[in-house]
Amino acid sequence: MSNAIGIIYANSETDNLQGLASERPIAAVPFGGRYRILDFALSSMVNSGIRTIGLVTPHHYRPLLDHLGAGKAWFLDRKDGGLFILPGVFHGLTGNNHTFCIKDLENNMEYLDKDFAENVVISSGNQIYNTNFKNALEFHNDKHADVTLIYKNMNNSSNLTDEIFLEMEKDHKVSTIHNKKGQQRKSLVQSYFVNMLIIRRAILLDIIEKYSSIGCIDLMDILSTNLKVLKIYGSPTCSLIGTIRKVKDYFDRSMELLDLEVRGRLWLGVDQIHTKIKDNPPTQYTSQAKVTNSLIASGCTIAGEVVNSIIFRGVMLEQGCKITNSIILPKCHIHANAQTDYAILDKSVKVNGENILKGTLHNPLVVLKKTVI
Amino acid sequence: MRKQECVAMLLAGGQGSRLGGLTRKRAKPAVSFCGKYRIIDFTLSNCLNSHINTVGVLIQYKPFLLNSYIGLGSAWDLDNPYSGVHILPPFLGEKEGSWYNGTANAVYQNYEFIDFYDPEYVLILSGDHVYKMDYTLMLKFHKEKNSEITIATVQVPWEEASRFGLLTVDGDARITEFTEKPAQPESNLASMGVYVFNWSTLKQALIADAEDYKSQNDFGKNIIPQQLKQGKRVYAYEFQGYWRDVGTIESYYQANMESLRKGHFLNIFDPKFRIFSNEDILPPHFVGSTAEIENSLVCNGCIIHGKVSNSIIAPGVYVGKEVQIRDSILLPCVKVHDGSIIHKTIVGENAEIMRHCFVGADGHIASDQEGITVVEDNHIITEGSVIEAGKNV
Repeated sequence: MSNAIGIIYANSETDNLQGLASERPIAAVPFGGRYRILDFALSSMVNSGIRTIGLVTPHHYRPLLDHLGAGKAWFLDRKDGGLFILPGVFHGLTGNNHTFCIKDLENNMEYLDKDFAENVVISSGNQIYNTNFKNALEFHNDKHADVTLIYKNMNNSSNLTDEIFLEMEKDHKVSTIHNKKGQQRKSLVQSYFVNMLIIRRAILLDIIEKYSSIGCIDLMDILSTNLKVLKIYGSPTCSLIGTIRKVKDYFDRSMELLDLEVRGRLWLGVDQIHTKIKDNPPTQYTSQAKVTNSLIASGCTIAGEVVNSIIFRGVMLEQGCKITNSIILPKCHIHANAQTDYAILDKSVKVNGENILKGTLHNPLVVLKKTVI
Repeated sequence: MRKQECVAMLLAGGQGSRLGGLTRKRAKPAVSFCGKYRIIDFTLSNCLNSHINTVGVLIQYKPFLLNSYIGLGSAWDLDNPYSGVHILPPFLGEKEGSWYNGTANAVYQNYEFIDFYDPEYVLILSGDHVYKMDYTLMLKFHKEKNSEITIATVQVPWEEASRFGLLTVDGDARITEFTEKPAQPESNLASMGVYVFNWSTLKQALIADAEDYKSQNDFGKNIIPQQLKQGKRVYAYEFQGYWRDVGTIESYYQANMESLRKGHFLNIFDPKFRIFSNEDILPPHFVGSTAEIENSLVCNGCIIHGKVSNSIIAPGVYVGKEVQIRDSILLPCVKVHDGSIIHKTIVGENAEIMRHCFVGADGHIASDQEGITVVEDNHIITEGSVIEAGKNV
């Protein structure tokens, strides 16, 4: 039985996804053929035995709720616990630069107040990972820690959102939290914080109460100022973690899925990633289909050529079209003899015959939802 | 409890012995079909699409995998507050109890279940047919004709007619004659094994049938002829559409292969009449750089490195390098290792074919079952084996 509840910040925003995240939060951006980015955080928590999960939502939460429903696909339609929607603070036009804004939790005190769990696992909702929190929770209990920050040893933080890294004593007690936001990166191996932490519920409630007079403040800032007062430990992880901040991240993290090792660590282990089930039929290949080195979801009809690409559910590729190095989101329709190269086509894009869409490796072309070309 | 207008009784207890190795571990309705589906998905999805919320599933033969697949019925939205799917195994009473002895006997033993919902009509379905049908149209026909028993029928080719129960109807679609599998067919209107009964009529018929010790307690052989003889109002509802009995290896293979043909009747891509299934969540399938796939269906979770043509690949299948798969059906979680050739074969669930095997090789003698080879569930074929076409292993 788990003694923890979960909170996922699904409201991180960015202007760097060129429209992929203009109508939807990053957490709801489709990823990997049939998933949405949020599925990874949510499934990781569920697979760790957490059965009560609160989701901090952004202002445009419709796509999120559409995807989640009552949480049935993640086994979160429970009598005891389950999925809770925690409406986040509306940040106006300036957007939210915080990862774990305390104000978001203050608005949802009820959720934290009424539960009996000892600990709260908090994660951001814009990362691709498959982590089991059981080890970290055990570590947290063994150390009688107030807070356990999960970190990963890496030599560059290009995969992470905020460049926070930790300095620790021998027993893993955190001595310094460096916040290098905006500073130049060094190519040293550092213990980078991966935006996942465990905190005692009583202490979190205490923090929220004490800081309620201050408008928006990040939980990480509070922790670094109270480093001396709280027992803060660091617990390492070696799971694969990819953060989606900009189009290039999205493209690279997607293309890495064509690597068997990456797929193995993300998908093919004991802990599965759960997602909304669409009951699509199998994918149909016609006799003209030519597919190599690609990931293809269900419900597609493929009559064209596909190379090094990721094809989401329900895509129609007509005869003679050529898809190379591209990511084609659900329900796109590519007509005969059209071509795409280094392109990301958002949902329900229609490319008429003979068109050629071309981006580059460093600057993939993004086509907005429901565009007709 | 709420009174239901119509209760469906789904006969899923048969062994399906003619499917050989495919039903050695599971009941026929739980056999995989067309990649991601299982045969019972079609009937349960028909119930969902026809708004029939109360379904009793009569089980008997090796029920575990079927039961766990059906679960609460939530995959077909049948987990309703006042009705839903009920698994009905044989049971003991105060004084006696017995196995289900025939289709009619199975329903008879569960008359308390039907009475519990107190329906006007009882729909008898069979769990081993593949078809898409809106039962509400048949119910409407039943009411319009003021019928007591309505039998769904379908036109079958004359040369195959003697495999079915055949009906002769008058100008008003009222059935005048019913013959089960006649040697000399006089009609090509076959019974689909789907019946609508008025519950009062069915109850009387079942009681009379149970008292007749000579009866085989079968709907087609006993109940229907008996009711016709008594002059009951029995009508034929002609179903227009795709319907296949997949009771034999040959018909199972043909029905699967038909789904590869473009624009055929069983349109699994139709968004208005979807077929639901209780699927495992698997990642999208991966097509490697040495793979060639043509005219095939491929499901989630597969990894394909070899050549696949005119085949159906179910979820979680692994196809190694330099493998050739032609005109075959690979059921869930099959593994085919490097260099093997598979031709016109049904490979059972979790079966493993090691390297450099040749399954479905042309033999010297005329092969059985139209040359279709069957590899049983969980079977492992050792490296370098050659299996001749038409064999069951």
